[in-house]
Amino acid sequence: MQILTTDVAIIGGGAAGCYTALNLQKRGIKSIIVCKGLVGKSGASLFAGNLVISGRLLGNSETQARNTAEFLIKYHNQFLIDQEWARRCGAWIEQVYYPELEELGLYFRRDDEGNVVTSPGAIRSIAANVQGNSGVPFMDLRRKQVIRAGIPRLEETVATALMHNRDGHVGGVFCLNYMTSEYVAVQARAVVLATGYSDRLHQRSTGTREMSADGIAMAWRAGATLVNMEMQWWHTNDIADPPSWQRMQVYPNPMLGSEKSAQMINSAGEEFFNQQNDDPLAFGPYTVQLKALAKQVHAGKARYDGGYYAGFNNCDASEVETYTTYGKTFRQLGLKFPEQLVETAVTSHYRQGGIDVDTTAMRSSLPGLYAAGGVSGHSNGLIGLATYDGKVVADGIFAAFESLPDRPISEAECEVERRRLDGLRSRSQPGITPVKVKEKLRKLMWDKVGVEKSAAGLRSALEDIEEIRLGVLPDMSISTRSSAANFEWLDAIDVMNMIDVCELIVHSSLERKESRGPFFRTDFPATDNRNWLVANVLRKLGNGLRFEQRPYQLPFFSPDFEVRDNLQVAW
Amino acid sequence: MLETSPRDGASRIGQAEHDDTLLARNSRIAPGASIVVRIRRQSNGGDRYDTFNVPYRKWMRVLDALNWIAENAATDLAYRWICGSKMCGTCAVRMNGREVLACWEAVEPEMTIEPLRNLPVIRDLVVDRTPFENKVARLEPWIERPDAYTGFPEPLSHKQMKDASKALDCIGCMCCYSACPVIGLGDLTDFAGPAPLVQLGQTALDPRNSPVKVARSLALTGIFNCVSCYKCEEVCPAAIPIVSRVIEPLKAKAAQLLPEHARHSRALRRIIAERGRVDPGALVLRVQGLRAFGRLPRIIRLLLRGKINPLRTLFGTKTTAAEPARRLLGREVSQ
Repeated sequence: MQILTTDVAIIGGGAAGCYTALNLQKRGIKSIIVCKGLVGKSGASLFAGNLVISGRLLGNSETQARNTAEFLIKYHNQFLIDQEWARRCGAWIEQVYYPELEELGLYFRRDDEGNVVTSPGAIRSIAANVQGNSGVPFMDLRRKQVIRAGIPRLEETVATALMHNRDGHVGGVFCLNYMTSEYVAVQARAVVLATGYSDRLHQRSTGTREMSADGIAMAWRAGATLVNMEMQWWHTNDIADPPSWQRMQVYPNPMLGSEKSAQMINSAGEEFFNQQNDDPLAFGPYTVQLKALAKQVHAGKARYDGGYYAGFNNCDASEVETYTTYGKTFRQLGLKFPEQLVETAVTSHYRQGGIDVDTTAMRSSLPGLYAAGGVSGHSNGLIGLATYDGKVVADGIFAAFESLPDRPISEAECEVERRRLDGLRSRSQPGITPVKVKEKLRKLMWDKVGVEKSAAGLRSALEDIEEIRLGVLPDMSISTRSSAANFEWLDAIDVMNMIDVCELIVHSSLERKESRGPFFRTDFPATDNRNWLVANVLRKLGNGLRFEQRPYQLPFFSPDFEVRDNLQVAW
Repeated sequence: MLETSPRDGASRIGQAEHDDTLLARNSRIAPGASIVVRIRRQSNGGDRYDTFNVPYRKWMRVLDALNWIAENAATDLAYRWICGSKMCGTCAVRMNGREVLACWEAVEPEMTIEPLRNLPVIRDLVVDRTPFENKVARLEPWIERPDAYTGFPEPLSHKQMKDASKALDCIGCMCCYSACPVIGLGDLTDFAGPAPLVQLGQTALDPRNSPVKVARSLALTGIFNCVSCYKCEEVCPAAIPIVSRVIEPLKAKAAQLLPEHARHSRALRRIIAERGRVDPGALVLRVQGLRAFGRLPRIIRLLLRGKINPLRTLFGTKTTAAEPARRLLGREVSQ
């Protein structure tokens, strides 16, 4: 086994991870990026469709600046957010983020006269080259910055467990390069988890193939506190079929250079959602859409897994395709664009919750462990927010650097982890494959921990999870013998993370006894700001867990009601 | 009826295949029928083809077939994919001899799936991307500004970014790198290949970049080894006009910034402009000068095969095509 030593081990090669590494380097701190896929090509950052123009940028009015903040706090996070962090983040995006990206060469789409093309409305956005594809050049730029800076990358290498040093601090991470089947331990003064949203825990989910909640699972096993794990976001109009296009959305957001947006049509042919008319303030109106869809499902005019349609038949093809990639799916399916609509379905998307952090430095509850971007539980969505976390965590580590011990990690812990992984690989008696176990988990999450949840369903999900743990996992085995590109072994490692995190999500969902934004409880249908405008904090106690509530400060925006039926709440 | 998409006409050579949509294929294969998938399995131990019968499902793509096989028939099959929706560019394979993105391309009733060419195979369909990544990094595809950045938003128009913007659609899938016959020649040339050139074009065709920096990068590309065969454009899943909008503009830049690298290309254009035809003898003389006579055996071979005709080179007159050629090539030739 190889042991690499550096100052900071960064797990994840998306917007947060790359930016952490680049900012640490500016401050003279070395890091290594461990990436389960390929830096800049895996994880959620790649999917950034466009970039929100915050504050007074690009001629935003005072109202538009305020709208952006309101959107983030209300529609994006349902008030479960540190508003002071949001304010700092907004100011940074306005002053640093865009100029820095453009100076590096990111191309914000212009028209032939040289104007930056924006979407219209209460909240505006721009695109890196093309709307729908902004994450591709954005992350490609980050990948090249990392290469240019000479920051070491361990790619197609999965981090499997956090390691402690003699002081009891998190001081490293155990990894497997699944292309070569070699173990690597990275020893560092601090570990930054930047593994993104958990994703791919439901039968239909966004995100990339490799996502299996590894960051949350590793942090939880090491004893870190989690928060708001039940707060799951959903995409409402993603392609129903074929399967891996389930993350491809018929974007409901305002379009660059057009006054129109996509429309959603129920099985009776009636339009039931159009962003421009139904909620101009919700720039990314996903939750608003979800509520509109729920009403259709209740009326028998749609299902969460299909039976309704979306498209751009209210637009000209050129209006859609001048600045966006939105036509590509329709065309590849062989549908007439923009005349024909495509069948859509719900997909689990970001998780607002995650690892509980102190938002001034992104410190977790464990000494030496930090979390940045989607894996942390302080906010939801948007590539700019994840990037900002990378800056905050780098600043935080720099400030605390002298107090972070530079000690070797526990050899005994490494040995335990090595045996665990060897065990997952060596179970070669014929049994169930890891991919089939993943399918089982995703199906049960979809059926019982889907859009609409109830105590009865959630309890039944816990029983199913227990049954998989006791009855299925012991029979899980892999047949790949090769040490080259052993994806099956990786799948087996994923399963162990997924099952732990699925269970925590179910417990957290049972705990929040209200409905809020995209979190629907049929047995508690009201949004309850009197009792539940709080962080649902999940602490590890030995092998058990305990919930605590922590209220949010509301310095800038607060809800204007105490208790109201969630489906009647705009956000 | 196939739907044709509105792409820029002449530059879309080979696009007929791509317009064969999932729906069109869908009508060719009956639901429930089996498709036959042969997969090249390569590992340390050997190289063989395994055949699988995969039940067809609506809108089936190559990736769906691979997933079905890995879930049901060969759980040890190694193939790479990350996003499944034409953004990460990691699932490219060769299907029936042409490069496709598995997540995007429709299945064929009978198909042979092989790994990309021109890259080492790790196992089965997984190739080692490192040689490609190293080539890209060596070209330093980033911006070095000659002048200080003026603040967001800086003056810039889409007209100026027209070609760079096309290159920015690149997802680094390496389909073109696998299809390129010059790359297929291995170390015989120092050609960087289409994908690294597109990656370079993203910043080298950007007016904000310093010409000194661009020249430094272009000097490492061996760009004039490109034979403009359009194989790269033919397979590009992102529909980038690689030759016409990236390589040709880069060649023009190289000819201007690095004239010594462009000797062959400039000589050829001059000859065409002067004579209205290609004259291989004159080309050899102009590019190689007196050195040509040091390679007598080759000269004799060229003579015997009628490739060069000294009499025509010395005494031949210009054809009527000379005038239009001069007009067409005029600007470049006079440089």
